[in-house]
Amino acid sequence: MLAGINMIAVLGLSLLTGFTGLFSFGHAGFMAIGAYVGAWISASPASTPAGLGLPFILAIVGGGAAAGIVSYFIGRISLNLKGDYFCIATLGFGEAIRLIFNNVNRFGGARGWPGVPGRSTFLVILIADVIAILFLANLVKSRHGRNMIAVREEELAAQIAGINVFRYKMISLIISAVYAGVAGVFFAHYMTFIQPKMFSLTKSTELTIIVIFGGLGSISGSVLGALVLTALPELLRAFEIWRLVFYGAAVILIMVSRPKGLMGGMELTPSGIRKALAERNALREAKTKLLADAQSGEED
Amino acid sequence: MVQFLQQLINGLSIGSVYALMAVGYSLVYSIMNFSNFAHGGVIMLGAYFGFFSLTLLKLPFVAAFLLASVGTLAVAIIVERIAYKPLRERKAPFLYFIISAMGASILLENIVIATIGPTFRTYPEVFSKVPITLGPLAIGRLDLIIFAISAVCLTLLIFFIEKTKIGKAIQAASYNVKACALMGVNTDRVILTVFGLGGFLAGVAGVFFGMKYTVYPQIGNITTKSFIAAVFGGLGSLPGAVLGSVILGTIETFVAGYLSSQFRDLIAFVILIAVLVLRPTGIMGKVTEDKA
Amino acid sequence: MAPILSIRNLTKKFGGLTAVGDVSFDVPEGSIVGLIGPNGAGKTTIFNLITGVYKPTSGAIEFRGKSILGLEPYRIADMGITRTFQNIRLFKNLTVFENVLTACHMNASYSFAEAILRLPRFRTQEKALVAKAENLLEIMGLMGYRDLVANNLPYGLQRRLEIVRALALNPVLLLLDEPAAGMNPDETEQLMRLIGCIRNDFSLSVLVIEHHMDLIMGVCEHIVVLNFGEKIAEGIADEVSRSPQVIEAYLGTSLEAADA
Repeated sequence: MLAGINMIAVLGLSLLTGFTGLFSFGHAGFMAIGAYVGAWISASPASTPAGLGLPFILAIVGGGAAAGIVSYFIGRISLNLKGDYFCIATLGFGEAIRLIFNNVNRFGGARGWPGVPGRSTFLVILIADVIAILFLANLVKSRHGRNMIAVREEELAAQIAGINVFRYKMISLIISAVYAGVAGVFFAHYMTFIQPKMFSLTKSTELTIIVIFGGLGSISGSVLGALVLTALPELLRAFEIWRLVFYGAAVILIMVSRPKGLMGGMELTPSGIRKALAERNALREAKTKLLADAQSGEED
Repeated sequence: MVQFLQQLINGLSIGSVYALMAVGYSLVYSIMNFSNFAHGGVIMLGAYFGFFSLTLLKLPFVAAFLLASVGTLAVAIIVERIAYKPLRERKAPFLYFIISAMGASILLENIVIATIGPTFRTYPEVFSKVPITLGPLAIGRLDLIIFAISAVCLTLLIFFIEKTKIGKAIQAASYNVKACALMGVNTDRVILTVFGLGGFLAGVAGVFFGMKYTVYPQIGNITTKSFIAAVFGGLGSLPGAVLGSVILGTIETFVAGYLSSQFRDLIAFVILIAVLVLRPTGIMGKVTEDKA
Repeated sequence: MAPILSIRNLTKKFGGLTAVGDVSFDVPEGSIVGLIGPNGAGKTTIFNLITGVYKPTSGAIEFRGKSILGLEPYRIADMGITRTFQNIRLFKNLTVFENVLTACHMNASYSFAEAILRLPRFRTQEKALVAKAENLLEIMGLMGYRDLVANNLPYGLQRRLEIVRALALNPVLLLLDEPAAGMNPDETEQLMRLIGCIRNDFSLSVLVIEHHMDLIMGVCEHIVVLNFGEKIAEGIADEVSRSPQVIEAYLGTSLEAADA
């Protein structure tokens, strides 16, 4: 279940990082916004802190929208920055959001908000996951998705190819923020209790790690990554305190040995497999051709 | 006026601790062009090493202090060997380094939580808590010592970088590592030196931090602030890191003193964002552009 | 015939260094113009200025009679100026086909929503894009490498792919930055013919930066020579190769080869 929730955030981040090439260490901040706004919308006015008592669906929309709006402003400020400065900016914003929630007593401050209704059922999350995946898949396999990939591959060439790089980065950021916000709403309604420290830098890093583990540029990778990396530690509940130790070690291991991740950019779909095979064949053909050319050259 | 000076001294003290931490970040950034997020974990370990040297091993202060710093030097180098060197060899993009650094940081923090436990520890009182009075001012002995030793360390560091052969190699490498290697500089040794220096200073900073506040596994997170100071002063510039840290520490203390301590942490992030928007290279940073 | 590109008093300074100093020249419509000069003469800087990557310190650039100063690079590409790069900037991890397909994006106009909901407009336009990409690959002889990851293409073909990608944007003016770099005489010969062909088949104007003198002399109708950021000569091949300033700038080596 938790895996399903994480998956939504991971998918969103995958668009930003895996497909558009921007790394963020602040997405837990967007989850936090979604969680708090969503909780505020759906918690009953009788609970402490007080909410609006509106239907769940409004909470989802509201939480997602709030995260998206905030991301727009963050994007305006930081998307113009160079690679690692953008990372630093997202880190800064993520932590700043957490600190702000720590200090807003209306939402419970650092002690948290305990009265969130438990609306996140398995079915709801499953449906949300499916929608999230389809939405993303359709986006990626279109000219807009390809443009984002171009930005990731060679930003300067993308500019010259007529791609409005800033706009695409911004759209990618906003969509990823909305996804994270929605994930935050589901999270709040699953845990029924939220606290700013649940949305810390460690959480942001976890999300990025899952995206990398699954393989940048692969939706199926992100899906699998979210399932494996969230569910596995749940099974090893006894080793709870060692979970993060293994996480850290695993991250280093992945970066050092197979940074392409689980799927390495490939998709686990019929067309994805066909594409991977076609690429492999083309490479083999090209190699034999080069070899043949070289040999016929030698014969002269 | 008295309160102002009091706060100023406080600010300088914490600023100098930040400076020790920030310098480590800046050094690594200047050579390897990435932000070593594992640095926070190393600083945290410094605090623990010092603590255990004093309590378990019952060493005298100076010995414990040195042991802690040497310990962190070793840890920093080990982290470099395991988490960064393989990436360097594969010419991985810098973002992979950051991820690996994050991993190392999570690893260090949680190993401590899992083994030693998350409870806060307090350093035994090494220096008398009785402040030195200078007219109406009460200056904590610890603050004075921190400031003094930090100043000495930083001066030695700058001396090292400016005057020694390997220091010059570090300067050269901060502009172009490949060209350096081509000129016959053993870049591997330069990198080791940089991490070693940063690690040693991290130990000093960690011990001081532990003495001034408390020891807990999440110290690494506080050092995000020293990282912000490094950015503020200009990533890659040592004087910048020091300047940024001192200014940040002072501003922070004033905000906490005159406004509210709740805003103390937030102000650091506000500064970060202001820097990134207005002048990303910081006060004294280098500007580099690549050819189109 | 009005020039398709008109550069007047273009100057670009980087701090104290004047990379381009008061350069003026025209690219007549439908012609192939060569831009030559020793390394560091400012040629690529001029390309960067034209495509909007750099903003000029002063001067004017007019494309089809309208100023393009201060426009974003993607806008300028939209208007019909595209380029290739000195150090090849292909989308290295994408296949040959994907490189070109991505560049075709301007030929479609479906929105995000239409793409996500897979509405009919998306489907028809997407099919047209695929057809266009495949057509281009076919014409330029790269269809056989369709699914090869661009990074694995032989060097000469990578350069050709970059040109194909540029063509996918329906350019009116094509800027080629050292397209023959690293090629042997055979490949250079092929490239020469290719440039002439695409100029005719696609009705383009071409501005080429090159060091390979045989290519310049063989294919350019008009040549502009730069040195230290300034224009030192301009004219047809013969005139330029005999100009004393040009000979001095090049110390005569490559021009002797062209004379031979």
